[in-house]
Amino acid sequence: MIEVIQISRGGSGGITGAKILAESAMYEGLDAQAIPKYGSERRGAAVEAYIRFSNAPIRIHSPVYEPNHAMILDISLLDRIDISKVDKDGVIVVNSKEVPEELKGTGRKVAYVDATGISLELGLVLSGFTLVNMTMLGAFVKGTELISFENLEKAIRNYWGEKRAPKNVEAAKRAYEETKVVRA
Amino acid sequence: MVVKQETKSMTGNDAASYAALFAKPDVIAAYPITPQTTIVENLSRFVDEGKLEAEFVIVESEHSALAACMGAAWSGVRTFTATSSQGLLYMAENVFWTGYGRLPIIMPVVNRCLAPGWNIWPDFQDSMAFRDAGWIQMYTKNNQEVFDTTLQAFKISESKDIALPSMPCLDGFVISHTTGQVDLPDPEDAFEFVGPYDDPVIALDVENPWAYGSMTGPDQYSKHRRDLMVAMERAKKKIIDVHKEFEERFGRSYGNGLIEPYGDDEADLTLVTLGTIGDEAHEAIDRLKAEGHNVNALRVRTFRPFPVENIVEFAKKNHKLVVIDRAASFGHDGPLRIEVEAVLKRHNVDTSVSGKIMGLGGEDVPYSAIIDLAKKELKE
Repeated sequence: MIEVIQISRGGSGGITGAKILAESAMYEGLDAQAIPKYGSERRGAAVEAYIRFSNAPIRIHSPVYEPNHAMILDISLLDRIDISKVDKDGVIVVNSKEVPEELKGTGRKVAYVDATGISLELGLVLSGFTLVNMTMLGAFVKGTELISFENLEKAIRNYWGEKRAPKNVEAAKRAYEETKVVRA
Repeated sequence: MVVKQETKSMTGNDAASYAALFAKPDVIAAYPITPQTTIVENLSRFVDEGKLEAEFVIVESEHSALAACMGAAWSGVRTFTATSSQGLLYMAENVFWTGYGRLPIIMPVVNRCLAPGWNIWPDFQDSMAFRDAGWIQMYTKNNQEVFDTTLQAFKISESKDIALPSMPCLDGFVISHTTGQVDLPDPEDAFEFVGPYDDPVIALDVENPWAYGSMTGPDQYSKHRRDLMVAMERAKKKIIDVHKEFEERFGRSYGNGLIEPYGDDEADLTLVTLGTIGDEAHEAIDRLKAEGHNVNALRVRTFRPFPVENIVEFAKKNHKLVVIDRAASFGHDGPLRIEVEAVLKRHNVDTSVSGKIMGLGGEDVPYSAIIDLAKKELKE
C-alpha cells in the first residue's frame, strides 16, 4: 500500500486534485482512495487530503499519519508536514522554483517545479487563487513514478470534460516535463 | 449470470446518488445539510440534465422534505430523500409518521454526530435516535456497499408484504466524501433488478377514496403496531432474499445481508461492529491473526430488523464478543452492545460480551486502536 499526504490552501483545488489522482490510479489497475479532511477549512486555510493506492482492496478508512510520499501545493505550508514521518525513501513533491531551504542537506528525495508559474502562464486562476492542483499532479507522477502520465491525463480529461480539459492537461504535462528530482 | 459492470472512481455520496438515479424515483424532496448535501446536488443535476424524470420538490426544511415525500408515497409512487444529523432531528415527527404509516420511502442517512459541540464528523447518534421509528436500518462499510444497499433498499421496502421505509446509513465524510471505487452496472440492469413500483399497498385512487391518519382507538392502534412488528420480522427474510438475488445478478455479497462474519467460524475473541469500523476491523483481524491470535469479526449490516437468530447462532460458536459502538445510550451503554447482550441472555447463550464506545464525533478509529482493544480483551 502506498500512502500520500497532500497539503494545499483552500481554493487552489487540492481536494479535486486528490480525487483525480485516485482516479488515475484506478486506470493503473490499482485500488485507490482519496480522503479530504474537512472541518473549518476555507479559502486560504491549510487543507489536507490523503490518498492511498494498493494492489489489494483498501479497507482502511483512517487519515494517513505516516505517508510514503508528501505533496505540498503551497511552499509556505511545508512546516505543516512532519518530514520525519514521511518514508525515508519517499518523495517530497513541492511547488517551488528550487529545493526549499528547509530540505537542503536532509538527503530527502525532492521533486520540485514552479507550479504557480506554469499555472499563471496558462491562466489557471479562479477568484484570485492560482489553481496548481493539476500542475502538481504532473510533478507528482514524474517524481514518484507510481502512475503513468497517460493515466493521469485520462483522469484529468474525464474530470474536466472536453472544454476545460486542454488547459489542465497542458499544466500537468508542462510540470511533468519541467519537474526536477534530486537528493536534497 | 453476473451482468457486465464498469469500475468508477466516486465518493460515497455519488454512489448513493447513482443508486437513486438507476432506481428512477418519481418524486425527490430533500434539503441540503452537511455531509449529505452532495446527494441532493447530484440528484437535482440529474433532473436538470434530463437524466432522471422525477419531480424534484424544492422545500424550505427537512421537516417539509419528508412531508413532501410522505404525500408522494401516499399517492403510490417511488420516493427518495436523504439527510444527516440535525436535519434528521428536524424531520423527527415525520420520520415516525413514515415508519408507523408504512410508507416505503428510501432515505440514506449520512451519519453525523449531534450538537452541541458543533461538529460535522461521523458517529451513529443521529440514526440510532430513530431506531424505534419503524424504519429498516442498514449500515454500510464502503462506497460500493452504499450503492448496493441503496439499490436493494428500494426492492426490500416496496415489497407489498413489507411496506416499510429504509434508511441506508453511511459514515459522514469517511464514506460520503471519500473517493473510492464502485462497480456500476448498466442503468437498465440496475432498474431491472429493482423493478417498477407498480403494486403499492397505498395509492391515490379517486374512484376508491381512503382516509389516512384519522383518530384510532387503543384496539386498532395496538393492532397496527403489532402489524409493524410482524412486517419487520418478515423483512429479515426479504433482506436475505433480495441480497441473494442481488449477488446472483451483480456478484457481490455482504454475509447473508443481515450479518457479515469475517475470519474463522470459531475464535477466542470476536469484534462486533457497525459501518466502516467493520471494514477497519477486517484489517485488524488479519494483522492479529498474522501475530498468532485467534480472532474473528462480525459486522452487523442490518440493525433494524435486528438479526437475532443469526447473532445467536454465531455467538454460540464463539467465546467472547467485544462490541464497538459508535453511539451512546446515556445512562446505559452503547446501543449495539445493549442489544447483543440482551439477545444472548434471552437465548441462554453464555458467550461473554464486553464493549467499548469509540469514534464519537469523528474520532478516528484506526485498525491499530482496534488491535489494541482486542489485545487488551484477550488478556482479560
